[in-house]
Amino acid sequence: MPKPLLVTPITEERLVRILWDDDRVDDYPFDYLRGWCPCAVCQGHGGERRFVRVENPQLVSIGMVGNYALNPRWSDGHETGIYTFEYLRMLGEQRESHDQDQVKG
Amino acid sequence: MMTEQEIREHLRRIAYPGSQRDIVSLGLVGDIVTRANEVIVHLRPSSASDEVLRHLAGRIVSLLSAVPGIGQVTVHRGRAQGTGVQPAPVAPPPQQPLPGVQCVVAVASGKGGVGKSTVAVNLSLALKALDNRVGLLDADIYGPSIPLMMGIEATPRAGQDRKIYPVEKYGVSLISMGFFLDDKSPVIWRGPIVMSIVRQFLRDVLWGELDYLVVDLPPGTGDAALTLAQEIPLNGGIVVTTPQDVALLDVKRGIAMFRQVNVPILGVIENMSYYVCPNCGEREDLFGHGGAGKTGLEILGEIPLVEDVRKGGDTGKPLVVQHPDHPIAQIFRQIALRVIEKTALRQ
Repeated sequence: MPKPLLVTPITEERLVRILWDDDRVDDYPFDYLRGWCPCAVCQGHGGERRFVRVENPQLVSIGMVGNYALNPRWSDGHETGIYTFEYLRMLGEQRESHDQDQVKG
Repeated sequence: MMTEQEIREHLRRIAYPGSQRDIVSLGLVGDIVTRANEVIVHLRPSSASDEVLRHLAGRIVSLLSAVPGIGQVTVHRGRAQGTGVQPAPVAPPPQQPLPGVQCVVAVASGKGGVGKSTVAVNLSLALKALDNRVGLLDADIYGPSIPLMMGIEATPRAGQDRKIYPVEKYGVSLISMGFFLDDKSPVIWRGPIVMSIVRQFLRDVLWGELDYLVVDLPPGTGDAALTLAQEIPLNGGIVVTTPQDVALLDVKRGIAMFRQVNVPILGVIENMSYYVCPNCGEREDLFGHGGAGKTGLEILGEIPLVEDVRKGGDTGKPLVVQHPDHPIAQIFRQIALRVIEKTALRQ
């Protein structure tokens, strides 16, 4: 399972850039990252994963959870999303293959 | 004088350690300010460790100083003042949240009663015997037995700012839930409370400089064990088991727990592995043989069922310190050596 080697939030571009240890780089625009928040508050229980539209989300900070996930904190106080590396990688690949149409929501 | 853009092009020649990618395309280089022949490079807050940042700053200074027309070069972490953009979010470094601690190893078991704490104690002392600075965190909140096994009656001292000094015994620093509970009250805590207490241990205990911190996890793969495995920045996990096939099921659960939270598994220790008759010296496989081998993981060691091990724990003088020449003390030292080898490979 690839792990992030470097996580850099780039505020001016409103995205988080992740360098993986297999040298892949993925960009996660704030809207995209916030929209695909995996927490139960955003997703409820069961059913298909859905995109949660949030107006102009700002990243406050992003931290590691143990060895397996990242946990972003947003300006609206939302901080329950624990994004496993596996999930983040999937989001990165999904964004690439959908030619960024998901980014716009 | 060069433009900011030209300086940025120069910096593209610096690759991020462990990667082919350069620090500019990774977004690590933030604002670049030039004044006369002076250049100030601001690195964006990121998850890069202090060590990596120092290395990169050195590379940037030596690269730019060699460029004609550039005099003084300064590298700042964080962003330039007064650029009108709100402060960038900061990601803390992925590893090393425990300052001064080189390597954190957890000892787990799929179920209780397999001798996990006995193994944690003797492994810590064996690491110490091999000239390492060792700490032991007894995170088995339900049955914190390590103070008894180490023969500790003192309680930890409190320092300034609510800091806690670990108790030292046999050269190993110890913190245990047992220090903060009386013998009679049952521990009926759910995961979140357990976590806040362990977080406090990680944050407020002054471990000092350690080569190894051994963490004795609660038995099983329930709420408490899983939460701890998730939250403590572990460099490796060890699963303790007994040899019978039935125990193998529980070992698999222990292994799956570490896998789920991305903690590398160093191997399995088979405890109560066999019995050597004290009269005739014959080996008897009371619980069968080779169960742990079926996990496909490395067997770090097989510890026989011997009274001296039990006695060491019950009298507070663990075998590894009480009888350093005992064959089982040697097994523990071999396990410790293997742990050192395997964790060094990963770092």
